[in-house]
Amino acid sequence: MNKFYHILKTLFLFSWSLFVVFPFLWALTTSFKDANAITSGATYIPWVDYEPSTQGWTSLFTTGSQGINIVGPFIDSAAVTLIASLVSLLLGTLAAYGLSRFEYRLGFVKNADITFFFISQRIMPPIVLAIPFFLMLKELGALDTIFGLVLVYVALLLPIAVWVMTDFFAGIPKELDEMAMTDGCSPIGAFFRVILPNSVPGLVVAGMFCLIFGWNDFFFAFTLTFTETQLLPVSIVSLNSSVTPWWSLSAFALISVAPLACVAVIVERYMSRGTMSGAIR
Amino acid sequence: MLQVDQLTTADPKVSLQDISFQFDAGNIYTILGQTGAGKTELLRALIGLDPLVEGDIKLDGQSIAKRPVKDRSMSLVYQQFINYPHLSVLDNVAFPLRRQGKKKADAQSLAAKMLTVVGLGDYLQRRPAQLSGGQQQRVALARAMVKKSRILMLDEPLANLDYKLREQLREEFPRLVTGNDDSVILYTTTEPREAMELGNTMIIMTDGRIVACGPPADLFANPPTKDAASVISDPPISFISGFVRSGALYFGEGQLAPNNGLHLPMDGPVTIALRPDAIEPGGAFNATIGLSEFSGSETIVHLDFDFGRAIMLVEGIETFEVGSHMSVSIKAEHIMLFSSDGQNITTRIK
Amino acid sequence: MTPTSTFGVNTMLSSKHFFLLPALLTLIAIIVFPLLFTIRVSFSSWDVFQSGLDYIGGKNYGRVLEDERFWQSLGRLSLLSSISVCLQYTLGFALALAVWKQVRGGRVLRVLFLIPMMTTPVVMSVIWRTVFHESLGPANDILGMFGFGAVPWLSSATGAFISVLIVEVWQWTPFMFLLLLAGLVSLPREPYLAAAIDGAGTLRTFWQVTFPLMAPITIGALIIRLIEASKIMDTVYVLTSGGPGTATETSSYYIYIRGLRDFQIGYSAALSLVYLVIMIVSLTVIAKLLLRLLVGKVG
Repeated sequence: MNKFYHILKTLFLFSWSLFVVFPFLWALTTSFKDANAITSGATYIPWVDYEPSTQGWTSLFTTGSQGINIVGPFIDSAAVTLIASLVSLLLGTLAAYGLSRFEYRLGFVKNADITFFFISQRIMPPIVLAIPFFLMLKELGALDTIFGLVLVYVALLLPIAVWVMTDFFAGIPKELDEMAMTDGCSPIGAFFRVILPNSVPGLVVAGMFCLIFGWNDFFFAFTLTFTETQLLPVSIVSLNSSVTPWWSLSAFALISVAPLACVAVIVERYMSRGTMSGAIR
Repeated sequence: MLQVDQLTTADPKVSLQDISFQFDAGNIYTILGQTGAGKTELLRALIGLDPLVEGDIKLDGQSIAKRPVKDRSMSLVYQQFINYPHLSVLDNVAFPLRRQGKKKADAQSLAAKMLTVVGLGDYLQRRPAQLSGGQQQRVALARAMVKKSRILMLDEPLANLDYKLREQLREEFPRLVTGNDDSVILYTTTEPREAMELGNTMIIMTDGRIVACGPPADLFANPPTKDAASVISDPPISFISGFVRSGALYFGEGQLAPNNGLHLPMDGPVTIALRPDAIEPGGAFNATIGLSEFSGSETIVHLDFDFGRAIMLVEGIETFEVGSHMSVSIKAEHIMLFSSDGQNITTRIK
Repeated sequence: MTPTSTFGVNTMLSSKHFFLLPALLTLIAIIVFPLLFTIRVSFSSWDVFQSGLDYIGGKNYGRVLEDERFWQSLGRLSLLSSISVCLQYTLGFALALAVWKQVRGGRVLRVLFLIPMMTTPVVMSVIWRTVFHESLGPANDILGMFGFGAVPWLSSATGAFISVLIVEVWQWTPFMFLLLLAGLVSLPREPYLAAAIDGAGTLRTFWQVTFPLMAPITIGALIIRLIEASKIMDTVYVLTSGGPGTATETSSYYIYIRGLRDFQIGYSAALSLVYLVIMIVSLTVIAKLLLRLLVGKVG
């Protein structure tokens, strides 16, 4: 019986791993093909099945009509994601700390309600906000700018930061802040000098979620930018609709998912330590 | 120096009830009370961590009730060993000095000195988490003392330590915790022995109120109320209902003749308090042995009388068989009497 | 998350606003105002020909009620999200259990299993589109190796639906895996000792110990995924463009077409609000049901 379980488990893990890596491997091998290799049907192994070429990769770094420039969108994507994540993390951490340490009251609205208000924003489908965002950014003259996107992404990411950090602060003893105050800090000073330096694990988890949701967003980038500002997901989709060869598409895709795939390593570390469990309930 | 007027708080668990007190400079006050008596709440209210519903706090005649925590010149050592996890031991102790605006080098050298005093001179660069509980509490102590604040508060600083460390640190405390003529030390504890050893004035609290205060020895010998007697006695004191009639004290089947060093009140019901020192082997009272345990070089014997249970101490290690009978005497010169409303009405004949 | 009592006096009052207000005001400015604006717009006839805020009463909402395409998209969305979330949950839990106590190679497997959720859905959809290509893609090629005929992945209604399902499962099973494994890691040990002493087998231990203990996380994970799944449109947009016909058109995508492609601003605002309300109501009901089903049974 035990043996049977073991075989079943191994088989399951093996086939799932295969399923997970398959699209990446396919993209990798496709990125080294040329027109001949593509049109002769699905092939997998370079040199055996087809003669590899590097044009898929070189085209990404050549500008002009021959090439697809990936550098611009990459920088834009990185800028928008990083700035929005930082702003959300800052505002969200402050708010979460406030909610975990002070009592707020506005009529019948109390701390739990405010926390819920923040977190519940995740339920909002992007499409509900797309049109007013569009009109709002147009009024601000921020359509098709990094600034405009950052503004929108902060709304998207702030709930995540508040959510993760509220739970994190609930686990830091209140006595630590109090001690800082008896040692001569103001409440704000206590937060920056003592609580913040001790919040690194929470900040990392919250920051990663912000990066993931920011970097991977497509819809807002798609509806709120056109030519000046181009994020990676939008540019790959516009390539997709044109007659772009698969080799460039594949290389492009691999480059744009690579940075966050690395984040998986960090996420795994925190998950195994159990640091994340508090952030989930 | 520190004056408290009608302090009242509204904590959901234990709230302070109308506390007024005058703390004088140069003294060490031990605040004795059971868990939930309001000791911690009193400290927190004084330092400004809990809001006051009513009352005022004055330092040198000036009201500080509305001052922020950081401007009250008070420091607090918590029962839990709380230090700044992200700072080294040295920087932990230097932290309050830096907040006072001292230069980094000055702060660190003062901190290092203080750490040497508490015996951690070799651990300056460690993180608090790398130290034992006792060492962590020493760090906290050093951090609280290095500030030279006017009021140093220690909230059951030994409560969470292992027995051995607790004994060791308690022995060192009088050397470590030294104020100056201009400062006050407040030390809370649940242990009478600790309270009596460390302070020169003892305050007894129950239910968010101060019920007694005075020199420890006086309070122990002559607790003003039943509550105070109960808090200050360890091993526990036994209270027995009895009555006085025509010059004799009756309780259970037994009675005590007068003129045994005790002056009896008027006829009527009284509560008789028996401490271990009031009972001796051999005498007119019969008891059953309920339990016998060793404590250091003494044997603690729990005795069941017809009027209730009381405790007797016997020098040296002796084995008493549970369930066997023994006769003891109750010494009138060591019992205390309380009126039905809990006031101490013992008067001794000189 | 329980708020602690104010730990200080007066200075606290001013500084507590320092912490909360920036985020609160930002969120109100960026989300509440646009939402209010959307509500106003939904009562106007704003479109390509006539822009601006007139007032036409509830006409748009009347039109929503009769819009079969919208209600069909909603039905499709419910089907798609419930099937995909169930699959993700089952697979994610199975994976989490499988690597939970795996020592050798466990780390590598965990990292590997997390990677898909880190990747951009649209970018991966672009790749999946080539995978599902009927004559040039590997999906049919591999099926052919096992002797199956070519499947019209993206050109038939069922094929397209299944393709979207596969991509969704690939992308988001890792999220379930993450939450559930994190939950497993932090489970207490004692119940397992007790079960072992009672001589409970693997299956019985799972149903009587692990599953009940995981109930709160299960509910949380299912709700979070349902919320996210009900917003799905990126993948659909790239993979099938809602097609063939309207076979894979989800509500978000349909509203997008009406609003930002046909530019019927007023009408799409009404659509999106109806969609939002339906989502909130049904997710609340589902959450309540799950709570009763899973926690009620345990307690």
